[in-house]
Amino acid sequence: MLRPLSIAWIELKRFGADRGALAFGIALPIALFALMYGAFGQGVSFSATANMVDLDGGPVAAELIDRVSAFDGLEVEMLTEAGADAALDRSQILTAVFIPAGFSDRLEAGEPASVLFKRRGSGGDSGQVASQIVQGLAQDIAAEFEIRELVRSRLDGRDVPEAEIVATVGALMEQAGVAPAVAVEVRAVGEEQNVLDRLIPGVLTMFLMFAATISAASIITERNAGTLERLLTTRLSVNQLFVGKFLASSGRAMVQALILLSLAFAVLRVGDAATFAQVVAFSLLISAAVSSLGLVVAGLARTEDQATWGSVFLTMTLTVFSGTFVSVGETGVLAFLSKLTPNKYAIDAIGDILAGSGGLVGQGPEAAILGGIAVVGVLVARVAFRTAQ
Amino acid sequence: MVTNSPSTHLAHEDSGFLTARGLSRSFDGALVVDDVSFSIGRQEIFGLLGPNGAGKTTTIRMLSTVLAPDAGDVTIGGHSVLREADEVRKIIGVCPQELALYEELSARDNLVFFGRMAGLGRREAKDAAAENLGFVGLLDRASDAVRKFSGGMKRRVNIAVALMSRPQLLFLDEPTVGVDPQSRNHIFETILRLRDEGMTLLYTTHYMEEADRLCDNIGVMDHGRLIALDTPVGLKSAIGDPDEVTLEQVFLNLTGRSLRD
Repeated sequence: MLRPLSIAWIELKRFGADRGALAFGIALPIALFALMYGAFGQGVSFSATANMVDLDGGPVAAELIDRVSAFDGLEVEMLTEAGADAALDRSQILTAVFIPAGFSDRLEAGEPASVLFKRRGSGGDSGQVASQIVQGLAQDIAAEFEIRELVRSRLDGRDVPEAEIVATVGALMEQAGVAPAVAVEVRAVGEEQNVLDRLIPGVLTMFLMFAATISAASIITERNAGTLERLLTTRLSVNQLFVGKFLASSGRAMVQALILLSLAFAVLRVGDAATFAQVVAFSLLISAAVSSLGLVVAGLARTEDQATWGSVFLTMTLTVFSGTFVSVGETGVLAFLSKLTPNKYAIDAIGDILAGSGGLVGQGPEAAILGGIAVVGVLVARVAFRTAQ
Repeated sequence: MVTNSPSTHLAHEDSGFLTARGLSRSFDGALVVDDVSFSIGRQEIFGLLGPNGAGKTTTIRMLSTVLAPDAGDVTIGGHSVLREADEVRKIIGVCPQELALYEELSARDNLVFFGRMAGLGRREAKDAAAENLGFVGLLDRASDAVRKFSGGMKRRVNIAVALMSRPQLLFLDEPTVGVDPQSRNHIFETILRLRDEGMTLLYTTHYMEEADRLCDNIGVMDHGRLIALDTPVGLKSAIGDPDEVTLEQVFLNLTGRSLRD
């Protein structure tokens, strides 16, 4: 057992002695954390742009545009008809609202009017939300004009000034908006979830995977440099070499995990010291699993380029399918695919520990799966390495 | 032509410290080493010469247990590399052609690490590192990172690492490539001192004058076969007066003048 530990120690020492690698190794988790904190750390509120084309130019169209502009979180971008079509064609925007000519005249005459929504594909998440808001505001205006026309027809011949009708209908509409017939009550359950809290398990797993796979690829570097062959002429067995590389790769991944976790716990206060200890402990298991996958890549690769790109491909594929950045849900193809990735179990377990549900001891199934991946990965890598020899 | 054929030398092979019998190895269907047999006596410096691609390095890889031969066997100190690789590794040291060192680490750290891999204890490895760095004249630079060393100094560290296992047989694969005359001379002196202390050495080089100066016996390989095996004087005598003929002339006579890869 001493020789594998010596290999792991010398790898970490080399990592520490290589100032460039060390700077990247420490700087990258900090830079990643700073980026995430800058992007999400202050909380997230709704923000979208309504791309609008005013082909009418009348007062009601102007009123609609004003109301959209006044909506919290919604910004209006006015476009020409040709500009909007071209932008949609080039996917520069995904949704545009066209107010057709005659829109104001029709509403003022008490006739139904329409607004055209053009969208590319599904229109995008924020585009769909913006469209719904514009649609709602347009319906409000349409309803206001319709009611005004109804009132006007009922009062026909009573010599009620038009201005009074408009003011009364407007006031009643506003009152209805303030005190609607059907009230909706919103009751908050628990604290608002911080986006970073949700992202940390996935980003941690992704980072562990990058660090471990790139570190494991050092086998190829050593093979090219001749040190691997030299090691094989000593009393070191291939199995000991593999265990040493496995420990080295896991250790290097843990160095970066500790940096990332320390920042997350110190700055974001995502948990107490006990939670930190539990996350670190489970990260060891994740490191073991992803290190074994890194060794498989290194065992199969013949060149440093193959090993590096194999690591990137593996990491990105598993990250995308595991639901690191988007929810994969409970059913469907994506949910099924996510269950084939170690990331899914790592994210679930770390998420549970951070949420305080179950703690470390409650992650038995996830721990068993990741442990299994670690063992099977090392065995497969060992066979691949022998074939490469 | 050479008078002493490999088979003549094989007559006393069983008394050799290293004995190779019928070694063959192919890669992707190409025969790289073809039925090579020779022996090396204790405290002998044996030169293995040949043009690029002759099969020297593959032969050394088989002798040093890294590569299993397709056919044949080797015994070193009475142990088979096929069946007793662990025993063989206890008594050999390998100085590969590449500078197989961790350049970020100090010379001492490199030696201590490889010493530990060779089975030395921590204290023992540190002592041996100091001794071997002194042996190659680098004790005063022990704490410096290898990447700061000149080519010649790196070659000397490369040899010092191979000595960490206190080997009985040392493989030196082109140990003087790219070094200045001073460093080369230091390496020669080191090799002769090792031999005088009882070590057996297998040495490959492209420099014929080195082989002539150092080696007790020389084997010449070409196209995977051992085509000549004798003392330097014996090889030279085969084509003329050994005082006038150079080993390079012998080499070109045996392997031809066409360019190799």
